[in-house]
Amino acid sequence: MAMRSQVYEWTNGSATGTSSIRQTVDPIAQTVSGNKKTDIFIGGIGSNITKPAETNATQFVVIEDVATSAHAASAVQVRINTTDYFQNPDITDQDGVPGLASPYPRGTSSNGAISDGAGSINVIAGDNVLPSFSLTPEIYVLPGQTYSVLYTSAQEAGVVGGQTKSCTSVACFVKYTLYDGPDSLIRNRLLEMGITVNPSNVDWYKRSLLEQQSMPSNGGVA
Amino acid sequence: MAMRSQVYEWDGQRSSTSTLASTDAGKSISIFIGGKGNNITKPAETNRTQFIVIEEIASTPSYFGETANNTASIGTSLRGLNGLTSQTYRGPLSYTQIVINTTEYFLDPDNIANSGVPGAASPYPRSVNFQPSFNLHPTVYVLPGQTFDVRYTFYNTRHGTGGANTYALGQDMCFVKYTLYDGPDSLIANRLLEMGITVNPGNVDWYKRSLLSAASAPAPTA
Repeated sequence: MAMRSQVYEWTNGSATGTSSIRQTVDPIAQTVSGNKKTDIFIGGIGSNITKPAETNATQFVVIEDVATSAHAASAVQVRINTTDYFQNPDITDQDGVPGLASPYPRGTSSNGAISDGAGSINVIAGDNVLPSFSLTPEIYVLPGQTYSVLYTSAQEAGVVGGQTKSCTSVACFVKYTLYDGPDSLIRNRLLEMGITVNPSNVDWYKRSLLEQQSMPSNGGVA
Repeated sequence: MAMRSQVYEWDGQRSSTSTLASTDAGKSISIFIGGKGNNITKPAETNRTQFIVIEEIASTPSYFGETANNTASIGTSLRGLNGLTSQTYRGPLSYTQIVINTTEYFLDPDNIANSGVPGAASPYPRSVNFQPSFNLHPTVYVLPGQTFDVRYTFYNTRHGTGGANTYALGQDMCFVKYTLYDGPDSLIANRLLEMGITVNPGNVDWYKRSLLSAASAPAPTA
């Protein structure tokens, strides 16, 4: 299993405390401050993992998709080591890809939904938000690099948590391919050759190596 | 029929003996032999002349972003998914993991196995409201002699009708699409794997054509 399709989902839900390691049963939405970047891996809000996301010496990660909630003015940014990937044209920081451009889940509504006071009627926005954005070219995380995915709500109040009347949940989604062992070395070779790193090109490179091995040697007899 | 497209659909309530209950929340349940819902007679495995390529996994979707009410009263369904009005999400919060022998396929970036692909990313059934963000590429190979499993986990105990903690048909579903290569086609699949070529019906046919072309070519003269 040297080349694996992987996913990571983050929500601002946690059953106890402001964060938990991985998903928990019956999570409660936690507050996310407005206009503040929150690391979806180790940000201390919602479902987290045990340590920063990083590649070791034999791993290579290709991030193929990032998406976030289409409501709450959500956006998602990718950071490699200390460098933010998405920038404004004047090379200043921005929040990243808006949830309206890359919604998660796809087909969700842009305004969320609201329960009325009696708790019996849900007002649902009638739209189904579909992606305007695809992450092409993909983002490479080279061996030994640290990366993070950052969620931001541009709403002044942020995302309200708890079980209050105005609380809501938000989510982020990352799709990536993890190359490990020999396949990671091939990824590095492709990168040096300026060829896009994807499963098809890795297979092509393997085939090339095999063909070279099976060819008769060109050396003449002295 | 040496190369067959196959599907398996699981419903946690499709059983007269044991069905999925709220006490199963957070547990990883085999959709083949987990003892809940419709099961098969023995663990899923390949024999010496079989090769399986898992091409898609999906499960019941979830909805994030409802602005909740502070009263945990019964709520109506939202886009076909259920929950309490105090919750900021609807649906089971389901995930699907693949296990080959004893190894989980989907990992978090900290290299610890997670619950798998969220139903929100790979929904079953698909609809205008719930569309896939995820496709299983590269596909997952089950080699001859291996055992494989698909495991369903849900985290919202109140996803029954009206926010109940008892569930009905269609509220916990899982879907697997795979291709079964048997007999000679299994051998070809193994050969393609050794050559670094993606195993799919098109490439198996290409390899067969290559063999036939080579066999019908005139013998080289001395």
